[in-house]
Amino acid sequence: MEMREATPEERKSFYTEEWNKREIPNFILHTLSLREFGFDLDGTGPSHRYNQFTTVEQLEDFMRNRAPYSAFTSVALYERPSAREGWLKAELVLDIDAKDLPLKTCGCSPGSVCERCIDGARKVAMEFAETLRGDLGLRDVNFVYSGRGFHVRVNDEAVMELEQTERGQIVEYLTGSVIPTDITMAFGYSKVFRERVARTFEALDEGQLLKVKGLRKSLVHRLMAEKARALEAFRTGRFEELSSFKDMGPKTFRQLVEFLRRVNSEFTDGKVTIDTKRILRLPSSLHSGVSMKCMFVRDIERFKLEDAVPKFIREGERP
Amino acid sequence: MFPPEYLAVLDPFADEAKKIVGAAPPFDAMPQEIVERAVNRVKLSSKEMVVQPDLESIQAEILSFYLMCQGVASVSFPYSHETRLISNATRDTIRYRMYDLFKRGQEDLCMKAVRRSIKLVELEDGDRAKIGGTNIPREDFYKLRDQKLEEDGIETVDDRVLPQYLPKYGVRWTDIALLLRYRRAELTKLYLVGGWAILTARDLWDFYANFISVRTEEYVQSVYERIAESGAQPSKALVEVGGRISSLLPKELEFREKFARMPAGRLRPEFFPPCVNMALAGVGAGSRNYAIIMILTPFLSYARIAPSGRVATRVADFIDDISIVRDEIAPPIFEAAERCNPPFFKDQPQEKASIFYHMGFGMTTDPTLADSGRSKWYRMPNCSKIQMSASTLCKPDEFCRNIKNPLTYYFRKRSEHTRAGGGG
Repeated sequence: MEMREATPEERKSFYTEEWNKREIPNFILHTLSLREFGFDLDGTGPSHRYNQFTTVEQLEDFMRNRAPYSAFTSVALYERPSAREGWLKAELVLDIDAKDLPLKTCGCSPGSVCERCIDGARKVAMEFAETLRGDLGLRDVNFVYSGRGFHVRVNDEAVMELEQTERGQIVEYLTGSVIPTDITMAFGYSKVFRERVARTFEALDEGQLLKVKGLRKSLVHRLMAEKARALEAFRTGRFEELSSFKDMGPKTFRQLVEFLRRVNSEFTDGKVTIDTKRILRLPSSLHSGVSMKCMFVRDIERFKLEDAVPKFIREGERP
Repeated sequence: MFPPEYLAVLDPFADEAKKIVGAAPPFDAMPQEIVERAVNRVKLSSKEMVVQPDLESIQAEILSFYLMCQGVASVSFPYSHETRLISNATRDTIRYRMYDLFKRGQEDLCMKAVRRSIKLVELEDGDRAKIGGTNIPREDFYKLRDQKLEEDGIETVDDRVLPQYLPKYGVRWTDIALLLRYRRAELTKLYLVGGWAILTARDLWDFYANFISVRTEEYVQSVYERIAESGAQPSKALVEVGGRISSLLPKELEFREKFARMPAGRLRPEFFPPCVNMALAGVGAGSRNYAIIMILTPFLSYARIAPSGRVATRVADFIDDISIVRDEIAPPIFEAAERCNPPFFKDQPQEKASIFYHMGFGMTTDPTLADSGRSKWYRMPNCSKIQMSASTLCKPDEFCRNIKNPLTYYFRKRSEHTRAGGGG
């Protein structure tokens, strides 16, 4: 998949020929006039802020005329969006950036992304959504492909007025970045933690495990050789099984779990979630840095990266 | 037999309590025994926490509560140690009363008070406890019970105590968001199923008491603001009560406060780069968040702790004394926030917790070393990022040339100074 910067001409052609206001999801359309819009007009950063559109037609005119490098909209709703004043409430968002995933198995260089990284981000978004729905009982959970990862955007009334601290606690819960008191319960955070720790452990290779302080090389070899057994112990919460690995004393075990917990916390950028005035890429707009469409994803399980490829790239690929 | 007014003993903000206050004499004319009770509320024994079900005792209880709050608001400020002291004492008192009343068969009275503040449902009975169509596995049910018993250090249970430790209620976690906001509850410590937190009666007392405690802090804040707005001096009686409560603060707190006012330890402000100096001087509305959270917080924490020897992921890996964070790093940040125009925390008080969040302690205003690692310890942004995000703060001097990060500026300048024989 080609990921290169779009030219000004390609941006123009995208916004005149391909961009469609109907691709803006309802959760934004229905609150359009209450959101701040920000734009990066020339690739130097989103400095054109404090914009308000009272109708989608006004937004349409702007997009077609200016063909911005990037377009953003606030997660917050304001009384006066053009002054960013009178904060009413804000979506709960989780930003899963494929380039920042802590464990990559694709060999991508830091800061770059490939299809495998993006699929990894998609799976993390799905995990988060499952917990948001199952444990936290939330219903209005939406997915947006951002161009280099996924945004999970929650619009349930019950969470939109939460402040930073509560949002920070939600991040801890979803990522499994706090070691629970009891690891063995069938439901609740205990289960979430086990699942996250198992997922992280499964993705670790020998080299990464060797970086864990206190883990001897011989133990790392054994954990890798019997990864399925170790994984099962993590998944079921039977952590005592792990102590049967030679050299896995209580201190070493604690250091391993602490390491896994820390890696878990890096699967999303908590700073984005706790920022209740953040602007995020507008679904339907073009991510010109990588020439991909930022798009609302109706069915995350069946998401195909090809759907986010703009026409100018598809046509360029044709023989 | 408990009179209807007794609910005020469990909720000093209830209408029953307001009626008592409305009919009370002015604070200056308050009987001495009520004044004494107001002061002593922060050190009540379990026995003294229990209020007899007669009108006179109920009145004394409510009036002493308000005298205590207004006294503290007269001599200190919101979020002061005094406020925390009375808020915690109120929480402990209410919690014990609920526990005691339930044990004495007054479950209905307890639940009447709780239901005014917390919307709850009872778990469906049957072979298994059930909520929203989901069965709570029997093992989890008993593990929740045992966790609570262990937390309270109860080894032998009798029939009067045990029912308080059995999961029995469901509360929407979003309905207790206020407690999450004040870190009086933690989401990861709740047993959540389909949006319901499964609770024992013991949990309920805890949550309920914390609600009252938070409302006590809010009440002190409102009185403080009222006093400030009126411009008048608070009455002598209130000042005296407040002063006496203040004198009951543990000595180490006083010491800590004094220490916090001392100049920063090993930070060397003379080596700070221009952007940090500008942020420290306070900035205008558009750049406050960036200057305080994104520049000062990482700069001062990394500059002070100067992590070396391993990857800097947790502050606790490099220091073993949290006072370095509380007394050396946080004060200059908080002072700079105050110098902003308008003062940063005046309209965004929640950002206080954000400072410690960015140092890796999670969302808290009272960090401990054990909290370290709850969130990411954010790094200092590079100069290019600062230029893009807050260009007004970037006024480079000559030393900035060939420097990509303000921390490099600091460490390099300090090191050059040391090399030149100026001392570390």
